[in-house]
Amino acid sequence: MFGNTGKIIRVDLESGRTEIVSLPEAYYRNFIGGSGLAAKYFWEHGDFSADPLSPEAMLIFMNGPLAGLRLSGASRGSVAARSPLTGNWGDSSCGGYFAPALRYAGFDGIVVTGRASSPAWLHIDEKRVTLRAADDLWGKTTSETDLALKAENGRFCRTLTIGPAGEHGVRYANIMNEAHHAFGRAGFGAVMGAKNLKAIAVNAGKPQVRLADPEKFAVLRKTLNQQVRESITSMVLGELGTAAKLEYGVCNGDVPIRNWTSSFWEEMGEALTGDALSENYLTGRKSCAFCSIACKRMVKVDDGPFAVADGPGPEYETIVAFGALLGSMDLAATCKAGRVCNELGMDTISAGATLAWATEAMDQEALSEEETAGIRLQWGDMPAYIDLLPQIARRRGPLGDLLADGSVAAARKTGDQTLAYTAHSKGLEAPMHDPRGGGHGLALAYAISPRGGCHVATTMLPMEAGACYYPEIEFDLDLEPMTDRDKPLAAVVATEIGAIENSACFCQFADREITLPQWVDLFNSVAGYDWNIRTMLRAGRRVFYLKRLLNFRYGRTAADDTLPPRMLEPARDGEPQGIQINFEEMKAAFYGLMGLDPQKGIPSRKVLEAYQLPGEARVVWDNA
Amino acid sequence: MSEYYRDQEHLYEIYNYFLDQVLRDEKIGPKMSRANIIIKFIYTDPDSEITIDLKNPPAKAGMYGTFYLGPCDLKEDVWSKQSADHSHRFWHGYENPIAAVTRGKVKQGGKITAMLKLLPVVKPTFKRFPQILEEMGYGDMVVNKR
Repeated sequence: MFGNTGKIIRVDLESGRTEIVSLPEAYYRNFIGGSGLAAKYFWEHGDFSADPLSPEAMLIFMNGPLAGLRLSGASRGSVAARSPLTGNWGDSSCGGYFAPALRYAGFDGIVVTGRASSPAWLHIDEKRVTLRAADDLWGKTTSETDLALKAENGRFCRTLTIGPAGEHGVRYANIMNEAHHAFGRAGFGAVMGAKNLKAIAVNAGKPQVRLADPEKFAVLRKTLNQQVRESITSMVLGELGTAAKLEYGVCNGDVPIRNWTSSFWEEMGEALTGDALSENYLTGRKSCAFCSIACKRMVKVDDGPFAVADGPGPEYETIVAFGALLGSMDLAATCKAGRVCNELGMDTISAGATLAWATEAMDQEALSEEETAGIRLQWGDMPAYIDLLPQIARRRGPLGDLLADGSVAAARKTGDQTLAYTAHSKGLEAPMHDPRGGGHGLALAYAISPRGGCHVATTMLPMEAGACYYPEIEFDLDLEPMTDRDKPLAAVVATEIGAIENSACFCQFADREITLPQWVDLFNSVAGYDWNIRTMLRAGRRVFYLKRLLNFRYGRTAADDTLPPRMLEPARDGEPQGIQINFEEMKAAFYGLMGLDPQKGIPSRKVLEAYQLPGEARVVWDNA
Repeated sequence: MSEYYRDQEHLYEIYNYFLDQVLRDEKIGPKMSRANIIIKFIYTDPDSEITIDLKNPPAKAGMYGTFYLGPCDLKEDVWSKQSADHSHRFWHGYENPIAAVTRGKVKQGGKITAMLKLLPVVKPTFKRFPQILEEMGYGDMVVNKR
C-alpha cells in the first residue's frame, strides 16, 4: 500500500489487549482517509446501539494519507465516534503534531473500545503498544498531563490528553494535542474519559512512507509549499492569526453578538481583532508540523484579573465565543478563558455558546437563581463566566452540572421555551460565523452537515467569502453572501470538496492555495488512488453519503436538517438587518441535486449503488 | 476601453473630489489615519496612479491624510493594482475585495494586512460615492447593482 501504512491499532480497554490489524485497500481508495475512513470502519465494525459513553462505544483516531509528508497543511488528524453531545455521528479534526508521529510509528489509526478498570494511558512506539496505569495523571490538566508524559517518554513524545472535563463527562470535552491543538468539537474528550483513557502518547520512529510516485510528489511538495508560503492567506494569518479579519466580519454581520441577538458592534470589532491581539498580548507565533502559515498565537497577559502566563493564545472561534457572543470586548478575558478551557479540556465554541444560552435564559427569567445556587450571569461579566468554567468541567453545583451537557440538553431540562435561545444544528453549537451576514449558503451547510453546526465540514464559508472558486469544474460563480442565489449548487461542490479535505485531514487555510488538479496529483503520487477530478469528487460525495447513512441509523432524518429560529430569523441590526434566509427552498434544491430522499434524508438506493455503496444501500433500504 | 472613464484626467477629477471628502470626514478620516500607512493605487485603463498618505502629517488643515494624483515620490507601504472600472464598482460596494484578489482582478503587495484593516473603515463611503457622482453631474456613471 502507498502513502497510508494500511495498519491500525485496535485497543480493547476491557481486556487490556491490543492488536495491529490491516485494513482493505479499497477502504482507503473509496473513503480517502481521516474521517471518511473512520466512518467506513465504524459502519463495518461499530455498535450502533451503544451509548457514546458506554464501554461498547468505539472511538476512532484516523490519519489521512498525507500525514507527515512535510507538506504545509497536511499534518492534521481526525477523531470520530458517536458524539456524546449530539447522539449522532461526529468527527473532529486537529492540527499539531500527533498525526505525523502516529504515521512515523507505522500506523494510520487507533480504534479504542471498552473501559479500563482504572485510569490508563496508551503508549505507542515502533516496537510495541502498551497500556499503562494513569492513576497519578487522573485529575491533572491537559498541560500537566502532557508535561508528565514528556518527562517520562522524552520531549519529542507527542501526546493526546484529556483534562478534568473529559474525566467528568462534560459532553463537549475536547482532546488536546501538546496542550495547544484541539480535537475540539463534539465531545470526544468525554468518550476518552468514560473509557478511563487519560492520554495517548506516541514516540515516533524514523519516517518511512512508501509513495506511489516519489519523484512526482517531491516536485509537487516543493510547488505546493511555495504556493502556500507565498500566498496572501499565509501572510495575513501568519501576521494576525485567525482573527485577522474579525473587524471585516463585524461590518458584514458575520460575527454573532450576545447570543446571536445582534449583528453589529463596531467597537467590539476593533477591540477583538487579530491586530489588537498582536499589539497587546502576542509573544510568538506557532505552527502545526511542517506548516509555513504559523497561524497559532502565543500570548501573555501581564496583570489584571485575566493575567495568564506565556502560552497558547485564543483563535478566532475562542475570541468570539468568549467575546462578542457573551457581550464582552475584553480581549484579555478571551486569552484567559481560552487558556482555562484548554487546561480543563473543553471546546471553547460549545462552552461559550452554552454560557450565552444560560445568560439569555437568566436575562429572560427562564432560569432562576434558585436553580443556579445563587449564580447570576450577566452579559459581559467575564470574571463570572471564567469562574464558572472549572465548575462546569467538574460538574460542580447545579449550574455547572446543567451546563456540562451543552446548550440544547440544558434548554430541554430548563424548559422548552429556552430552546428559542439556542443556536445549533443537530445539537452541536454553531461556530462563530452567522449565516445571516456571513452567507446564506452557510445556513444550508450547517443544517446538512452530518455532525451538526460546523463551518469546516464544507468549503461554503470561504466560497461565500470569495476566497475560493473552482474553474476546473466550471464552478466559476461569484457568490453573493446575503442571498440564496446559486447556493444549493455551491453546497454540492462545497460538500464534496469539504469531505475530501476532512478525509485527507488537510487544513482549510492551506487548501485555499491548492487547485483541484493539484489535489488529484497529490492523492495519486502519494497513495496511488489513480483518480481524476471526477472520481476524486465522487469519493468526497461518497464520504458525505456514508455519514448521512450513519446518522440515519441513529434515527436522524430530513427533519433534522434544520436550524433553530434564532439562526433563521432576520437579523435585528447591522448589514443583514431584516433580510430573510430562504432556507427551505435552498434545502429542497440541495436535496434534489444530491439525490436525497425528502423524508429520510438519505440517498436513494439507486444513488447509493451508483456511488459504490450497494451493501450500505441494502442495510438502509431493505430495513426501511 | 473603460466603461466609465473617458481618460486619466476624468478619473483624477472624480477621485480628487471623492478623496477630499473622505479624508475630511470626521467619522471616517480619523479611522483611516490610524492605519498609519502609505497606499498606492495603480489603475489600468485609463492608466493612472493615486497615492494616499496616512502616515505623514496631512498637508492640508482639516484633513486626516494627503492624497496625490499621478506619480509621486513617496514610497508606499502597500500597493494595489486593478482596472479603473473595477475600482469604480468597488466604491459602489459591488465588488467583493477578497474574491477580487482570489480571482486575480486585484493584485496587491507590501503590507497587505494594513489594507485589510481599512476595509471596514471605508465601507461607509460606498453610499457616498454614488452621491458624489451625482453631485459632480456624473449621474450617468452611477452603477446599478447587477
